[in-house]
Amino acid sequence: MLMAAASAGTGKLAAVWRVWAPLAVLGALCLLISVFSPNFLTVSNLLRLLNSASIPMILSVGATFVILLGSIDLSLEGIVSVSAVVVSMLVANDVTGVAIGLWAVPLAVFLGSLMGLINGVLHVWLRTPSFMTTLGVGFAGVGVATAVLQGVTVRISDQNFRAISLGRILDVPMAVWIAAVTIGIAWVIQERLRLGRWVIALGTDELTARHVGIPVERTRIIVFALAGAFYGLGGVLSAAQFGQGNALIGQGRLFTTITAVVVGGTALSGGSGSVLNTVAGVLIVVVLANGMVLMGVPPFVQQGVQGVLIITAVAMSLDRSRLDVVK
Amino acid sequence: MTIPDTAVPVLELAHISKSFPGVKALDDVSLSVRPGEVVGIIGENGAGKSTVLKILNGIYQPDAGEIRIGGNKVEIKTPRAAFNLGLAMVFQEQSVLPTLTVAENIFLGREEEFLRLGFISKAAMNKAAALELKKVHLSLPPSRRCADLTFAERQMVEIAKALSLDSRLKGQLTILLDEPTSVLEAKEVELLFSIIREIRKRAAIIFISHRLEEVLAITDRIVVMRDGKVVADLPSKSATVKDLHSHMVGRQLHNEYYREARQSKPGDAVVLEVQALGLAGAFSDVNFQMHAGEVLGIAGVIGSGRESLARCLSGHLKPDHGHIRIAGEELRQGSVLKASAAGIGLVPSERKVEGLVSAMTVAENMTLAALPKFVSNGIIRFGAERKASEDWIDQLHIKTPSTATPIGSLSGGNQQKCVLAKWRIAGVKLLVLDHPTRGIDVGAKEDVYELIRDMTGEGLSVLLLADTLEELIGLSNRILVMKDGQVTASLDARAGAKPQQLDVIRHMV
Amino acid sequence: MQSSALTWLKDNLTFVVLIVLVLAISIYDHTFFSASNLLTVMADTMTLFLMASGVTLVIMMGGIDLSVQSVASLASCILAVYLPRFGAGAIGLAVLSGVASGFFGGLVSNQLRIPSFIATLAVSGVVASAAFYISGTHSVNIPGDLSAVYLSWAVGNFLGLPCEIWVGLVCLVVLNAVLALTPFGRLVRAIGSQERAVLASGIDVNRQKLIAFTLSGTMAAIAGVVMAARLGSGSPTLANEFLLPAIACVIVGGTAVTGGIGSIWRTYLGALIIQVVRIGMTFVGISVFAQQIVFGLLLVAAVAITMDRSKVSVIK
Repeated sequence: MLMAAASAGTGKLAAVWRVWAPLAVLGALCLLISVFSPNFLTVSNLLRLLNSASIPMILSVGATFVILLGSIDLSLEGIVSVSAVVVSMLVANDVTGVAIGLWAVPLAVFLGSLMGLINGVLHVWLRTPSFMTTLGVGFAGVGVATAVLQGVTVRISDQNFRAISLGRILDVPMAVWIAAVTIGIAWVIQERLRLGRWVIALGTDELTARHVGIPVERTRIIVFALAGAFYGLGGVLSAAQFGQGNALIGQGRLFTTITAVVVGGTALSGGSGSVLNTVAGVLIVVVLANGMVLMGVPPFVQQGVQGVLIITAVAMSLDRSRLDVVK
Repeated sequence: MTIPDTAVPVLELAHISKSFPGVKALDDVSLSVRPGEVVGIIGENGAGKSTVLKILNGIYQPDAGEIRIGGNKVEIKTPRAAFNLGLAMVFQEQSVLPTLTVAENIFLGREEEFLRLGFISKAAMNKAAALELKKVHLSLPPSRRCADLTFAERQMVEIAKALSLDSRLKGQLTILLDEPTSVLEAKEVELLFSIIREIRKRAAIIFISHRLEEVLAITDRIVVMRDGKVVADLPSKSATVKDLHSHMVGRQLHNEYYREARQSKPGDAVVLEVQALGLAGAFSDVNFQMHAGEVLGIAGVIGSGRESLARCLSGHLKPDHGHIRIAGEELRQGSVLKASAAGIGLVPSERKVEGLVSAMTVAENMTLAALPKFVSNGIIRFGAERKASEDWIDQLHIKTPSTATPIGSLSGGNQQKCVLAKWRIAGVKLLVLDHPTRGIDVGAKEDVYELIRDMTGEGLSVLLLADTLEELIGLSNRILVMKDGQVTASLDARAGAKPQQLDVIRHMV
Repeated sequence: MQSSALTWLKDNLTFVVLIVLVLAISIYDHTFFSASNLLTVMADTMTLFLMASGVTLVIMMGGIDLSVQSVASLASCILAVYLPRFGAGAIGLAVLSGVASGFFGGLVSNQLRIPSFIATLAVSGVVASAAFYISGTHSVNIPGDLSAVYLSWAVGNFLGLPCEIWVGLVCLVVLNAVLALTPFGRLVRAIGSQERAVLASGIDVNRQKLIAFTLSGTMAAIAGVVMAARLGSGSPTLANEFLLPAIACVIVGGTAVTGGIGSIWRTYLGALIIQVVRIGMTFVGISVFAQQIVFGLLLVAAVAITMDRSKVSVIK
């Protein structure tokens, strides 16, 4: 069945399916879960769901730009860690004497984009595949975070800061509002800035992009830096949510993020997909997790389910007409 | 429309030469295009047309000579620079990006024109795109994604992209069309011609095509290239297809060179049978048979479908319909594994990518297609392998320090002999040779010709796609000519009664 | 063309670096250069080497295996949980789980034509879930008496050398033999160098890839068994921190991610370098945490140096 769906890669029907599939899957999932668990479709559960989707949403939306380029970003856990740790040490806390309040937020986001910049520069200047450079930088990032903390966990006492995640407007958690605004910003970048258009051009056909004069190297570097900023924001929200900064705060996020982007329909090969696809993908992953919790499925099974999900999503989105070499 | 002879050419190539290691691609090429002129460039494969285009596109730099635009010398370093100078190219390989819209493709890289406060105004871009689309009579919404367009519509979008330069350029515009009609139906060709007739008022046009009737119909002048030189530059009004053919064709055949004396008569056994074979977009309804010991040459220009046909036989491509039978057995199509198991081998045109593993030794490459023969109890029998490769090195006069030399360090000719040896060790029945003498020196070429005679003498059949018409005629027992996906002729090429190049070209273009 | 001395240096860079490092640390601390200390270092390196040895084959082929840590952890869980019930059979079961995981990863990558890093990332998740399930989400102890009976080949000493060294040596020799003497070994190199040419020669490339992934999983499982034996327990997160070092061993050892060159020996040298660098950093006083930074950057540098850029026109 999988194979049949996978081989239906070309043709008008398949093209329509490719566009609407994520939403269809999301809808089907919601229906299925609400059958098994009446608690699912309550306002409080849905709000809880959106809240738990906020941080993954911000991370995945950032990663989408990198994947649209045809690259991959394995550093996001590291950047989230560094950002969370730094921000926790800059607002009122029990370890450092520093307390610069909400000014820490843009600083942490900037730090994230700086690390992303390093990703991009290493990738472009050393002409090394992104999965290697980001793997190394991510690893180094977790190391930096750990080194800075020296084994201590920082507890945040600045309530204004924590309100970024926990506060509510119109009874909806702040985190959800921030995620929504982030999606909007990402959408505008993708559609209305040249950067967004150039990312798609680059991901589709780098040679043509170069020929029409698109600055390839500069675009690549900027995209990684941009993604880093999103991860930085994700780190800030994580620190605000948990009320602490610790180096393992990003653990496990990488897997969920990549699953979300892939399941949403953005192609790993680049050039095809969009921020909106990712939104659907994140919701699918989060709804699935929420559903599994409601149905009493043990947490460790979720990893396995996500693994199967990635495989299914990639297999079904495959373009069979390209008999390229797959490494 | 008469063009004054004294008009300054919009574009001029003056004594351009370009060499690559081992081959002189362009030799003192001069041609010019005057305002409002449509100039056609024709020539066989390898005549130098694409090198001219690449130089104009800034991808290669000429070794000698000048490029002049509007009378001024220019240096073209990148494709974008070419564009900014007023040279708009529409290539064979479509560069329309499917996931972007029509408007986005037309203005790709030039979006700054539509920036309002840093953001792209889709409305402004679409409006401007609509104007360009009108010029090519394409009534599509500019916001449509190009993935939803047909080949022909995409071609028109590419042309619109080129034309969009028109109102934005200070100087003169030259549009270069490289085989623009190969994906078009007759009706669409007419449309393209009417567009060309309109825009010639504003731009000079270079029209490259292998379809000579079309070239004669739309151009004012025709430049014929052969072996990197310009051999004729004549007005289209007074030229005929026969004239063009005779300019395109070159040297006389030297039958000794192709070992014609050794050309044997094929046996009776039918080795390959191709029935109603078709691949959408490449070729259709191909039927032929091959006998043991036969060299069947396939003639055709790029786009004739012959390369795809060859790769369908080797299993690299899967045809949409039809049958392939080798030695009477039906072949499972689209699988290189099955094809080689059935006894079909491919000597590819891209030797370094598909023919050899450069990092491995001569012996390792030679046994690659027949490894199981050299394995016992799971271990490779290195002794037997070395002996087999030494035998073939002797037999084929391959110049290599030893069997353990990395094959990448051998010369092109010797590498090719190793590739041939590989398939002979594997014991194939049919060998598909895709441009087998490309990039190898004259002496090695003669060795390859000898080899082909040896192989066919032993009953092996050869399907040949040759670099030059001359080579094809010299080597083949029979010639199939393909044009635009159809077989247009089947010619007898027996020793002593070879067809003339003109006879073949007649069916090719 | 480079001088032959420079070429020799490039080929043997790994070995040279290792010698230089060892000497540098020995100057700093004389006790480092003792036979017993060097043997301990070699023994400690073995589990990392075992994990990395299978991955070497996959990387030589041009792919990557990001599931080795989960496979090792799963194997350790299976061993710990089933040793009381099945005795020596538990060892076989644990290794079998690695075979199956590797096979599954290769199958997913081949049949569904998914790039290996995604396929193995996904398999890693599935395998990790299985590990959690079998162990009941916590670590499982291996009683000492059982260990003495069934696992004495992995811990303790044999003929004066730590057992780990023997196990590693055997694997080194066997895998080396496979690479050098078998058709599979030759094809691993060929496919990594120039896959299209191998395909065009009528070789079943998919089957070779499957074998490579299966071997990778198998070696990871063996590593998991040895780790569990040494630690005296199995756990679903046992090998989690070993993924990056395992890949780093392979690349620092000189096997390029672009495929085609490399050897199991090199991976072992790479493992030694990683270990020695770690020891060196601890000596010099760099905290364990900061060492991670160094490793991350080391990995990037190693890839940048060993990569063959002529093979990749567009670097994504």
